[in-house]
Amino acid sequence: MGGLTTSLLIGVQGLEASQAALDATSNNISNSNTPGYTREVPQFSSDAETDIGGTISGGGVTLDGLQSVRDELLNLQIQQQTSQQSSADAQSSSLSQIQTLFSTTGEDLASTLTPLSTSLQQLSASPSSASAQQGVLAAGENLARSFNSTASGLVSAQSSADQQVTQTVSQINTLSQQIATLNTQIAETVPPGQDGGTLQDQRDQLVQQLSQLTSVSVTQSSTGEVITTGNGTPLVMGGQSFNLQTATGTNGMQQVLDANGSNITSTITGGQLGGAIQVRDTTIPGYLNSLNTLASQFATAFNTAQTQGTDSNGNAGQAFFTVPSGTTGAAAGISVALTSGSQIAISSDGSAGSNGNVANLSAALTNTLPSGQTPANAYANLVFAVGNDASNASAQSTAIGQSLLQLTNQQSSVSGVSLDEETTNLIRFQTAYEAAARIISTVQALSTVTLDMGSAQSY
Amino acid sequence: MRVNPNLVPDILADLNQSQQTLNTALQEVSTGKSVTQPSDNPAAAAAMVQNTIETGNVDQYTQNVTSVLSTVQTADSALSNVVSSLTQAVSLGTEGANGTNNTSNLQALAEQVQGILTSVVNQANTSYGGTYLFGGTASTQPPYTADSSSSSGYTYNGNNDTNSVAVGDQTSVAINLPGSQLFSNAATNVLGTLSSLVSALQSGNSSTISSATTAVSSAIDYVNQQRVFYGNAETQLNSQESYLQQETVSLTSQASSLVDVNMTQAATELSQAETANSAALAAAAKVLPNSLINYLGIPS
Repeated sequence: MGGLTTSLLIGVQGLEASQAALDATSNNISNSNTPGYTREVPQFSSDAETDIGGTISGGGVTLDGLQSVRDELLNLQIQQQTSQQSSADAQSSSLSQIQTLFSTTGEDLASTLTPLSTSLQQLSASPSSASAQQGVLAAGENLARSFNSTASGLVSAQSSADQQVTQTVSQINTLSQQIATLNTQIAETVPPGQDGGTLQDQRDQLVQQLSQLTSVSVTQSSTGEVITTGNGTPLVMGGQSFNLQTATGTNGMQQVLDANGSNITSTITGGQLGGAIQVRDTTIPGYLNSLNTLASQFATAFNTAQTQGTDSNGNAGQAFFTVPSGTTGAAAGISVALTSGSQIAISSDGSAGSNGNVANLSAALTNTLPSGQTPANAYANLVFAVGNDASNASAQSTAIGQSLLQLTNQQSSVSGVSLDEETTNLIRFQTAYEAAARIISTVQALSTVTLDMGSAQSY
Repeated sequence: MRVNPNLVPDILADLNQSQQTLNTALQEVSTGKSVTQPSDNPAAAAAMVQNTIETGNVDQYTQNVTSVLSTVQTADSALSNVVSSLTQAVSLGTEGANGTNNTSNLQALAEQVQGILTSVVNQANTSYGGTYLFGGTASTQPPYTADSSSSSGYTYNGNNDTNSVAVGDQTSVAINLPGSQLFSNAATNVLGTLSSLVSALQSGNSSTISSATTAVSSAIDYVNQQRVFYGNAETQLNSQESYLQQETVSLTSQASSLVDVNMTQAATELSQAETANSAALAAAAKVLPNSLINYLGIPS
């Protein structure tokens, strides 16, 4: 039979429930700025009614626990987009360094090709002028230096991408280990199928950081999350993590190896690691190849033009540029072979005043190279390619940034702590707590009345 | 649906974006360039490579035209002097051929013509800026030097080649005629006719003097014909100069349309960006501190 004691017990349950709800609210408020924190809502259920002798009375309230409000699907989408964005960012930051090599700075190839061309035209007008001859030699040296510095700028961008690969791999390993540890803790403390609460928040946050480094695929298993790279190389399986390794490859660049030592470099996409590998192994080698082809073919054409003439000393023209044989390293290795302006093969008929071969030298600048392009066109195409890649990477980063912002907004609208909401809850639970306390004081008053019924003396 | 309670990322993204727009607009106005790096406009940056090289070349072609023009004009005026010297020789020859001169008169005439020969050789050895104009491409030494074994008394040290100077991408102008063609051609040897006239005057034979004089006057015709070459070169260089001026203008305007900003537009964009940025900041300042807490009394 229900009695005052029942009311008292129900009142106490109400107090406890409101107390727990106030705890949850204050925890939400305290964590409102914690990255990755998912708001928690108290789950109440009313206890079963009891029917004692035909009298039905309520069973009070039970706090089932705190439920973190999260949307796993949104988390997955955010991870994917994050990977794509940090890949685009890595490429964009590398390319913005590279493109300064191709901006008009006075040291770039367009700025040094021009003086070679104009100094040759000047030489054509005054073939026996020593200063005009020296002008061509100096312009040639500047051009060679410009090839050298552009190539070394590209190589240094490549090696900084290479360093990034090593650093990123070690960050990935650290995160994998932390996630595996959290997997173990969650498996030990949280019953299967239930939300992991703040531990799960932390793990989600780490997976989010991991997806900045490389694209990952996350699946759930009985022992916790299984995380693999985009191509399926395991990083975390439950409580176990698998370290990636790096080793110097045949091209001198750091290769990424899985835990078994297989080379997975070419299969890695997304994230800082994917972006760095893309820049290092595809983008920069492409530019270097164009630059080397240009340096090698131009030097060969110019040297051929030199050999068609006679220099001011009456000797047959010798090679103007020294360039490594083969295309590789041509831009880095090109230098001027001549030591004096008098060695420029100006004359076509052997007389000192002839300018007949200058036209051949000039033609090497304007004729199509074996690549099918004039030197200026070949360089212009390279400038276009660099500019286009840089502009695409930054546009891609902006576009993904927009959609990532949308997704983060959605996630925040599901999981984020609203101070207004929490303040409202604070008032709600405060009122409920006060009401529950009132029940107890009411029961106490009623008990007094009931006890007074059998006695003249007042308690 | 629950509203996103956290405005900070949105506001930050908006502020970032408006700051970025403001920076870009400011940079455009302050540099006057819309393309400062290739990614700003890859196609324009690539076209600028061509433009830079072409502009450099056109500047140099213009300088070439100026210097070649002086060379050609010097050569032409030298030839003009040669023609007047030859005309003088013809009148001396005509005077010698009229039969009224005694030997010493003829000797004096012969010496005058010899003087004319020397002056013509001096003209043939004209140099400009250290370059001998009539030696073919062997232009570092005087083309004519005295040589007693030669019939004319002078030998040609030059060659038969000519130099051409580039004054446009596909245009070059031949700038010299070799002395072997101008003065000591096998058919019409200018120096030879003068030295023949000297010998004829010294011999005193009127008919020889007369025929030698006729040879000198046909040499005048020949030199005048050759001068057409320099006249043509001058015409060609002058028209090339005005073409290059147009080319410079069109390259400059191309460069300007590729990379320069439209100032009016850029200034308008800058002021729009400023307004948008202040609006975003003002909105952020208004919205961010808003919370229910501000409206609730402190619990007593």
